[in-house]
Amino acid sequence: MVNGYVAASLREALEIRASHDVVPYAGGTDLMVENRQGVEYLFLNKVPELRTITADDQYVRIGAAVTFTEAIASPDVPQLMKEAVSRIAAPAIRNAGTFGGNLGNGSAKADSVLIEFVADAKLRLVSKKGERIVDVDKFYLGRKKLDLGSDELIAEVLLPKQGLEQYSYEKVGGRNALAISRVSFAGVFAAKDGKITNVAAAFGAVADTVLRYRDIEAMLIGKTVDEAKALKADYLKAYAERMVLTRGRVSAEYRKSVCMNLLDGFLTKFGI
Amino acid sequence: MDEIRFTLNGKEVSYAGSATDRLLDVLRNDYRCTSVKCGCKEGECGACSVLIDGVLYNSCCVAMGAINGASVVTMEGFRETKRFEALEKAFGEVSAVQCGFCIPGMVLAAEALLSKNPHPTEDEIREGLSGNLCRCTGYNAIVNAVNNAAKEGNGLW
Repeated sequence: MVNGYVAASLREALEIRASHDVVPYAGGTDLMVENRQGVEYLFLNKVPELRTITADDQYVRIGAAVTFTEAIASPDVPQLMKEAVSRIAAPAIRNAGTFGGNLGNGSAKADSVLIEFVADAKLRLVSKKGERIVDVDKFYLGRKKLDLGSDELIAEVLLPKQGLEQYSYEKVGGRNALAISRVSFAGVFAAKDGKITNVAAAFGAVADTVLRYRDIEAMLIGKTVDEAKALKADYLKAYAERMVLTRGRVSAEYRKSVCMNLLDGFLTKFGI
Repeated sequence: MDEIRFTLNGKEVSYAGSATDRLLDVLRNDYRCTSVKCGCKEGECGACSVLIDGVLYNSCCVAMGAINGASVVTMEGFRETKRFEALEKAFGEVSAVQCGFCIPGMVLAAEALLSKNPHPTEDEIREGLSGNLCRCTGYNAIVNAVNNAAKEGNGLW
C-alpha cells in the first residue's frame, strides 16, 4: 500500500509504529480535514484489540478505535459520556470519530476529552516495550502537545464506573448539529453522609487544554451543602481570577462569562 | 506493496494510488461516481455521504487505506434497489428536491437511518439527517419525504 500501513492486530500496529514514521489513523475525521501532505498513515480502524468496550470493577475501558456511535450504544458507558459524545457533529461523523482520535488530535475542544478530565480518567498507552497508565490531565502537555512517544499508541481510556451519576453537561456551539464547541462544561457532584465528596468542574474549548482547578474544588470538599453555599461567592471569585482564557471563534470575555454562568448553574443544580 | 482492494457498488475493485487519498476524490475522479458531491471537505455538509459496510460516512473524511476490504455503496449502486425506488417516489411526491446537490447524501442518510430504525419519529428523522445540509428546501419537505417513504415502503427496511 502506498503511504499507508493497515494493521490487523495491536502487535502488528506497534511493530509498524516503532519502525516507521507514521501518523496513527483511527477514524480520520480530524486528520482528513487537516490533510497533512507527505505523511504515511498507520490505519488502526481494523485493530480488534482497540475496538472493544469492556468493564471491570473500577473502570469502563473504551478502546482507542471505538467510535462515538458504538459508545452511545454500549450499556457500559456512563450516561455523562454518552450525552457528550451524542452531541458531537452528526451521525456520519460519530460513526467514524473515535476516542483515541479525539485524544490524539490534542485539541481542548474534544468533547469526549472534557468528560475524561472531569471524571479523572486514565489512559493506557502501549508500545513494543510495554505499557504505561497516565492520568488524562498529565497526557496533555499543551495545545497539540501530548505525552505520547513516537513508538507509542493510545490503547484505551479507563473511565471510572462509579461517581459520575450526578452531573451537569453543557455544550455551547453555533448550532445544534455539526457544531464545534465554543465553550463546553462538565461538572460532577457527589456527597456522602451530608458531606460533599466530589465537585469536579472542567472547561473545554476555552484554553490550550481542558481546564480544571483541583485546589479550588478542594474549597468545597468535606463541606455540607449549606457550608458550601456560604463559600460559593469566594469559590466563584477564585475561578474568575484563575481562568485566563484565549480568544477563539468567540472573544475571551464572552467565553469567561459563559464559563462562570455554567459553573454557577452546576452548583445551583446541586443545591449550592 | 499491495493495492487497496474494496467493493464499490457490488463490484470488486483495486486502487493503486496513495492510502492517504480522500475516498471522495477517488470516487469522483477515478471511478466517476459523480453522485458523490464535494461541498466542504470538512465533514460538515454531508454532500459526500456514502455507505461503508452499511454505515453512513462522509467520504471527504475517509482515507483510502481505511476502506481496504470494505464495501462502499454510492447512489450509483443504491439507485438499483427497491428501497431507492420508495425514497425516490417519496422525495418526488412532496417536491423534496430543488437544486439536487444535497440529495444523494440525503437519500443515503435516510437509508442509513431507516435500515437501523424503520419507523422513525420526526425528531429521529431530523437527527438522522442532521449532518446533511440543504440550502434550498428548508428541510421540512425532506423530512416529510423520509417519513412518507418509511410508511409507504413498509417492509422494505
